[in-house]
Amino acid sequence: MRAEASRATLLSLIGVAALAAGGAFLGSYAVYLASLAMINVISAVGLNLLTGNSGQISLCHSSFMAIGAYASTLLTVNFGVPFWLAIPLGGAVAVAIGALLGAPASRLQGIYLALATLGFLQIVQIVIEELASVTGGVRGLIVPKPAFAGARVSEYGRYLIVLGACALAVWSARNLMRSRVGRELDAVRLSRPAAQALGVAVGRVKLTAFALSAAYAGVAGGLLAIVVGFIDPVEFGVSAALRQITFIVVGGMGSVAGSVVGAAVLSALPEALRPVKEYSDLIYTLILLGFLIFLPRGLVTLWHAGARRSRARTFAAAGEGTP
Amino acid sequence: MTGERLRIERMSVRFGGVAAVRELSLSIAPGEIRGLIGPNGAGKTTVINAITGEVPMTQGRVLLDGDVVSGLPAHVVSRRGIGRTFQHVEPFGELSVLDNVLLGVGRHAPVPLFHAAFATPLARRGEASAVREALGLLERFDLVPYRDTPAAELPFGVLKRMDLARALAARPTILLMDEPTSGMSESEADRAVAAARALAESQNVTLLVIEHNMRVMMRLAHSVTVMQNGAVIAEGAPSVIQRDPAVIEAYLGEEAADAVR
Amino acid sequence: MNVSLILQLAIAGVSVGSIYALVALAIVLPFKASGVLNFGQGEIVTLGAYAALVLTQLGLPYPLLVAGVVVLGGIGGIVIERLLIRPIVKAPEFTLVIATFAIGLLIKGIISLRFGDSPNTIDGPFGSDPLVAWGLRFNPTSLWIFACTALVTVLVIAFFRHTRLGKAMRAVSIDADAARLMGIRVEKVYRWSWAMSTAIGALAGLLVAPLIGINPEIGQLILRGLLGAVLGGFTSIPGAIVGGLTVGLIETYSGVLVGSTFKNLVPFLLLMTLLVFRPQGLFGLAEIKRV
Repeated sequence: MRAEASRATLLSLIGVAALAAGGAFLGSYAVYLASLAMINVISAVGLNLLTGNSGQISLCHSSFMAIGAYASTLLTVNFGVPFWLAIPLGGAVAVAIGALLGAPASRLQGIYLALATLGFLQIVQIVIEELASVTGGVRGLIVPKPAFAGARVSEYGRYLIVLGACALAVWSARNLMRSRVGRELDAVRLSRPAAQALGVAVGRVKLTAFALSAAYAGVAGGLLAIVVGFIDPVEFGVSAALRQITFIVVGGMGSVAGSVVGAAVLSALPEALRPVKEYSDLIYTLILLGFLIFLPRGLVTLWHAGARRSRARTFAAAGEGTP
Repeated sequence: MTGERLRIERMSVRFGGVAAVRELSLSIAPGEIRGLIGPNGAGKTTVINAITGEVPMTQGRVLLDGDVVSGLPAHVVSRRGIGRTFQHVEPFGELSVLDNVLLGVGRHAPVPLFHAAFATPLARRGEASAVREALGLLERFDLVPYRDTPAAELPFGVLKRMDLARALAARPTILLMDEPTSGMSESEADRAVAAARALAESQNVTLLVIEHNMRVMMRLAHSVTVMQNGAVIAEGAPSVIQRDPAVIEAYLGEEAADAVR
Repeated sequence: MNVSLILQLAIAGVSVGSIYALVALAIVLPFKASGVLNFGQGEIVTLGAYAALVLTQLGLPYPLLVAGVVVLGGIGGIVIERLLIRPIVKAPEFTLVIATFAIGLLIKGIISLRFGDSPNTIDGPFGSDPLVAWGLRFNPTSLWIFACTALVTVLVIAFFRHTRLGKAMRAVSIDADAARLMGIRVEKVYRWSWAMSTAIGALAGLLVAPLIGINPEIGQLILRGLLGAVLGGFTSIPGAIVGGLTVGLIETYSGVLVGSTFKNLVPFLLLMTLLVFRPQGLFGLAEIKRV
């Protein structure tokens, strides 16, 4: 197994390097799309930890992206904080608010949780619109171009930043899922009584899941702001929240690979659907419904269709000898 | 008070208008293997659920080694050293057997979030040692062939072993076992009994065991508490209990009632 | 603030609350029967409004308009239940929530494609000149809405008490398996509870159209309807009505008290508070599944 783990790591590094190098040769629009796709991956990874692993429905994931986007942008605009500090700080703001929401929300289940997150989404939308003097309201907010050491960061530069953040996000999520943290996330979903009997603090784990998902979403939001150059609050409403959920349903809930696959495949969709643009929202919704009815466990299950074994999820086990 | 591992004082549990447990008191010495028997509906599982804190007590106290544990959240009760197995196992179905047992193990060495996310050496070391401990338990319980199998795919007997391994991984000082041999063949049950007894003795784990199989109970328990309708009707050594008229009545009544149905 | 203003606001609150009450009722019906919460209910209301638009353009007189919208709404519900809900009725809650949401978005998308985003309107059946009585102004459309809501409430309660199907629905909502053993066709109950729900939702769309116009965003109403349903205790029919009316009143009064800037926040803050502290609302049963 050790050889296999090393091979997987090597492949991943090569993949990242290829993406990095390849971006230099792609046209401006392709780079832009690729950046958006990777931002979707970061966000989807966070949502999957919350919904797929710890089993908590969230209809407000896009709100945490909004919080991250506005927080980081406002820090830059009002306090001159450079983007590479503003974006993580924006993520921190999202985490704090995520924990604030998670405290009561993690005690709810099913439709009550769905309602609470829907209510939160609306609250964030209203606050954004009403505090127009700060946030620009419905007209949106212009994001200053990121600069580093005095020079403006090029589009390719932004692409590399997003790539780095995406790689970090996927890697950290994978590590989490192979550690006790990840096992506890699944445990509270799979059997609350058994989890409690083993000393797992169910409430605290669920709250942590909220905060974690907000972290990924907040950073994704901050990155989205500098890539697009503009924050439009409509992008963080109910449709956006549902799109995030579509990523993880299509890719595979509870699986980091699923988040990557779902977000990447569906991000390519609007492009592929360009000829029938007006129908693209409709097609998105049909895809979601189709998967919910016919393949609710997502595309990743097609991979595992043959292999019925689920290798124990632990990064230490990668070094163990096979039984 | 010294020398008592678990002490229950006048525990009552009501669900709505129904009293599932009435003013039950019992006391278990360290290292003792106590059986808890009684006809269906006597309230045995409710007693366990109330001890672990899953179900609130209407009245009464539970003390572990002299410290009050009643009223604490269930996961805190577990951390204090009270473990349990489940009548229906409650497996983490999607997770492998190894992952199930790992969830018992890592309890005493939690990994900080930051370290886990970035796979620091601290996290790796903690994980490696947890895996070693878990694999050791798998070996003890003949579960190694199933280590990567999702729990949902396992036969019931294997699941019961996993449940036990998982509960013991958390290193409890007292283990509450709910029908550990249900679904097992006679020979499996015999093996389980021998293992449980050896375990209790070697690791000084106190056991409170709910059992329906009388044969198993007689061979395993040092002493037995008999419940009926939420209250204790007899308590003593297995051989004495077997001949107690009240106990016979309680069971015969059940069998007679079954015969009439 | 004088008495006549308070009363005038109450009238406004009750009239908008009547719509919320209908939406809340439409939400609670299939939830009680089959445990499915239709997050797409808002779009059913939108559908009703557009159906009214189309039928009006065909020149139908008002009574036929009402009948047409109700029937079309009911048929829509049967179609949705058969095609989209039946395959997933046993699925985990997540799937049901997201699927009904998606159905709603689907309906909204189709409506947007067909009719565009520009607003339309139809006239209320009694014109829009206010009636004046006791020093208060009454909008005839609002009165009509309230009257219809009251009528629907009475009909629904009578339905559950006195008809066989209604009693069957009550049985199913208590215990579907036991009902099935008693010979009740549970699938039929589900179908009709959905049909009633969408019929009522469509009716709400028809009724509200003269007040707020016809556009694809009408579906936002569902949030007030949901709040009304939660307030009333999710499984209570009279609770849903009272809950919806209460939301209407709260919305109207908070507009005056809090000012327009944050008045929209009040319903949602109320929702969050309810969910955390009293999810069973005012009339619901105390044992809500809390974690």
